[in-house]
Amino acid sequence: MTVEEIRGSDHEIDRFPIGMRVLAVDDNPTCLKLLEGLLRKCQYHVTTTNQAITALNMLRENRNRFDLVISDVYMPDMDGFKLLELVGLEMDLPVIMLSGNGDRNLVMKGVTHGACDYLVKPVRLEELRNIWQHVIRRKVESKSKNNHEKSDQGKEGGDQNEKLNRKRKDEDTDEENGNESDDPTTKKKARVVWSIDLHRKFVAAINQLGIEKAVPKRILDLMNVDGLTRENVASHLQKYRLYLKRISQQANMVVTFGGNNDASSYMRMSPLDGLGDFRTLSCSGRLPNASYAPPGMLGRLNSATGVALHSLTAPPLVQPNHTQTKLQPVVSSNHQNVNLFQGIPPSFDHDQRQYCNKPNTQLTDVGSFDESRIFTGTNLAGFSSIDEPRMFRGSSTFTDPISVLANQAGVKLTSTGTESFNHLSDSSGFLDQNGNQPPNFSSNLNLQPLAESYSYPAVINGGFSSNITTAAAPIEPHGGGLVGDIVQNVNRSLPNQKGGSRSKQDYSQYSQNALPTQATSALASYDSLSGPVSHSRPNGSRSIPFQTEQIKLQSGFVSNKSYGSLDDIIPGMMKQEQDTTMPMNGEFGYDPYIDPDREYNDESR
Amino acid sequence: MEQNHTKRQIKVTRNSLFEQGYLDEQFSQLEDLQDEANPNFVKEIVTLFFSDSTRLIRNVENALESYPLDFCKLDDYMHQFMGSSSSIGAKKVKNECTQFQECCKAMNADGCIRAFQRVKQEHAVLKRKLEAYFQVSL
Repeated sequence: MTVEEIRGSDHEIDRFPIGMRVLAVDDNPTCLKLLEGLLRKCQYHVTTTNQAITALNMLRENRNRFDLVISDVYMPDMDGFKLLELVGLEMDLPVIMLSGNGDRNLVMKGVTHGACDYLVKPVRLEELRNIWQHVIRRKVESKSKNNHEKSDQGKEGGDQNEKLNRKRKDEDTDEENGNESDDPTTKKKARVVWSIDLHRKFVAAINQLGIEKAVPKRILDLMNVDGLTRENVASHLQKYRLYLKRISQQANMVVTFGGNNDASSYMRMSPLDGLGDFRTLSCSGRLPNASYAPPGMLGRLNSATGVALHSLTAPPLVQPNHTQTKLQPVVSSNHQNVNLFQGIPPSFDHDQRQYCNKPNTQLTDVGSFDESRIFTGTNLAGFSSIDEPRMFRGSSTFTDPISVLANQAGVKLTSTGTESFNHLSDSSGFLDQNGNQPPNFSSNLNLQPLAESYSYPAVINGGFSSNITTAAAPIEPHGGGLVGDIVQNVNRSLPNQKGGSRSKQDYSQYSQNALPTQATSALASYDSLSGPVSHSRPNGSRSIPFQTEQIKLQSGFVSNKSYGSLDDIIPGMMKQEQDTTMPMNGEFGYDPYIDPDREYNDESR
Repeated sequence: MEQNHTKRQIKVTRNSLFEQGYLDEQFSQLEDLQDEANPNFVKEIVTLFFSDSTRLIRNVENALESYPLDFCKLDDYMHQFMGSSSSIGAKKVKNECTQFQECCKAMNADGCIRAFQRVKQEHAVLKRKLEAYFQVSL
């Protein structure tokens, strides 16, 4: 592999890293100008923007326009980590994070989100002189992964996880030809657009096979899509696994970092906006990765059939109680928003966050998250401790994730869905305890006024996720029942103590058994939200536990609310934003939050 | 010669800014970035800093007037302020920002107000000095 191959048709290849094309994103004009100056001094080709959204659009327009992205962490329109995730998943470009804060947790978060480096401001010239290595490294890994893939006919894609799956993008990049892959050995494959439907099929296939047995070849067969090659599936699978892994890692981190004050700072920085991007992503159909939206998440919440619940992003969270059927509609309507992993995390995060606000004290055993969890839990796992502040306010019945969110006055949910999940799960742990909120719950709540959030409505997921996030603030956290349940089911493969099996169930269902996750069931089991969520993840091969039936959303989750309905809710929730943090009086009990404007389908109400 | 004298003057002025702690080595980095391709880089970025920070100061002032104080928001503003001031090497300003952030974390309203006064003060002093410096040097 030569630099020329890597660079494609760039005339300046032989002078690489001179002329390396960098996209710099920072909302602070002074810092951005400095960054620009420094990068120019390194003889890179610099493009700057002070808005993450703009940056994303530029990248989406033409991924090949840039070799590397450098982004600030704290940005008003979008959390830098969200951007990082999106770029990594969609475009597979190396992303370097930049921040004035060199806090270890932040750096960790950057790493788990896939940043290839993390620089602390003020950035020095010497540091920037070396960043080109990330570009080369990624290409190298991508190519080797590609080779490995090719020789890997029928082997499980799992072992490819070691390689940076994101590199796949590099393979397909450069040439966006049609779908012909003339020479299987060339790295340039036709770019496959992983639409929601396609991803749904993908996830359904995985569920059917079981995550351990999900081999690209079999997935491909099950999907039965013309023009899709095994390689396409394999790389998509890699990304998916990476995503799940990251989510689980984040979940682990949540445990570790629980109760960390820094979390609040994270809270601050996680714009919900990430969802928006997903939306665009899904809409444009250019998100190959977008389809990663953890179907599991949706499934869980929606008790979906394990089909790619892309729409998971928003609706599922909100409607934990919905029966599968109910959710289905939502799912379909949201499918646009599903945005694949990316999309979901945000929505989940928000919800999760709301709930999980609780400091780690009661964090369930996040550590036990594993990848399968990711499948189901989607973003929950991704929660880092940072999000803790965001988590649940504690108390209140969980019935309604939206309400929970709403209560989180101004809680800014990070876009990483996983995070929210983790939090949720964590909080669920708390919730279980007679709804007594852990003391730190309130104290750790760093709810950021949602007003400062981003324009979620624009966000994908039918704006659901975005809605959720914004709404999150106002939503009163219900006794983690709902959310916790969801979270538990979703994210954690760990069964709740009470409803543990339930969550496990869903989880395993989703991930391992390809069983339709009964998200609703999970949600329904408020009670199941027993203590600490330290569920150990059951093996995927668990049969659907009894809990599924038990799951009934106690809270008034909006069942299969289409976006429209969510929108209705959101305003309601927004109203609550004004409220300051909800009194965390440990009302974890699951008093369903009943929003008169919402149609609650849950029966428990 | 006059020119030499001016150059010397510029140097003296510059050095004193460093010696008195108004600027730190980050400012030298800015100067290093100035070249034929970017002949006015330092002045441009400093100008940008002052216009941006003035806006931030106004925001903080407004935020300080609300009751109760929104410490998170204030901390956010300060974070931005810190980012910019450290980027140009505004040492004293940066230090005062840190103080302010400490007060925010401690939710010390009075402390915040006082710290902010100092931030504004240092900001104004630096602005004056740098303006004088640029007038001489350009």
